[in-house]
Amino acid sequence: MRLAMLGTMAVLAAACAWALSGEELERRVLEISSELRCPTCQAISVKDSEAAFSRQIRGKVRAMLAEGKTEEQIKDFFVSRYGEWILRAPKKRGVGLILWFLPGGAILFVGGLVGLKLYRNARSREALEAGAAEDTISEADRSRIERDLRRFEEG
Amino acid sequence: MLSSWKFWAVLGGIAVVVGLFAYGFTVDPNFVQSPLVGGPAPPFRVAGLDGRPPLSLNDLRGTPVVLNFWASWCVACRDEAAILQEAHLRYEKEANVLRVVGIAIQDTPEKAVAFAKRFGKTYYLGLDTPSGEASLAYGLYGVPETFLLAADGTVLDKRIGPVTRAGLAEWVARISGPDSE
Repeated sequence: MRLAMLGTMAVLAAACAWALSGEELERRVLEISSELRCPTCQAISVKDSEAAFSRQIRGKVRAMLAEGKTEEQIKDFFVSRYGEWILRAPKKRGVGLILWFLPGGAILFVGGLVGLKLYRNARSREALEAGAAEDTISEADRSRIERDLRRFEEG
Repeated sequence: MLSSWKFWAVLGGIAVVVGLFAYGFTVDPNFVQSPLVGGPAPPFRVAGLDGRPPLSLNDLRGTPVVLNFWASWCVACRDEAAILQEAHLRYEKEANVLRVVGIAIQDTPEKAVAFAKRFGKTYYLGLDTPSGEASLAYGLYGVPETFLLAADGTVLDKRIGPVTRAGLAEWVARISGPDSE
């Protein structure tokens, strides 16, 4: 009797574990499918498409996950068949790295140029103000300017 | 202004962007060369249609193959049906230089056989599995798509869309030429 109860509990525990792995499996299938492009659609992922090819790709992803294949291995399989096109985001290696870092790099570069320009403007303004604060005109020049101004005003 | 490096840098940047857009308009964004071309053909096994035996890639070793993926619901497949049948008679039955193999995908045996009879296909016809093992192995985007396999199993070329007589003749010349397998 006790043995039968233990056996039932073990079966129940195994069933719960299986159900959990089934949910986890589906979550992983959708996660990977969302990163694959539907071959017959326009700009839709395999996850969001109900096209026959998308359903088959989801099935293949599910089967490969059940076989113990990693996400990388699954993506590599589809890339080997369809090319990098099948990936909705380029791989973070090789040439794909350029595509990942190019936008950020461009923003940093332009931001750097703007910052440098602003810094230089601020520096030159400061220099001008400092120059205005310092009276660099000699007494001889000052008296000559005043004399010329008086002559100009008198006509 | 013309001597300013900033002017030329901005002009160069605009030219690069305009050039990329111009190039983008000249290419079909839906056409991507198959990465399978130049490599070994992926293995497959399909059930035979209309009493034909199952077929696998290993059964095709030793002879160049025109491997055509089609479906009874595919309108473009009607356009090429007669051309493929003609190629089967001319290059397979008479000249014996290649095999023509058709694999129906996302189809039922009844509909596929009805289509084959309607268009008089007598070459080998198989049916892909419901899970699309062969379709996914060959990275199909749709039908019809046709591959040229060398006698040693190398994928020599791929055509998206209906085959043409001229295209098949070119493939035959390629496998019969001095560089053939």
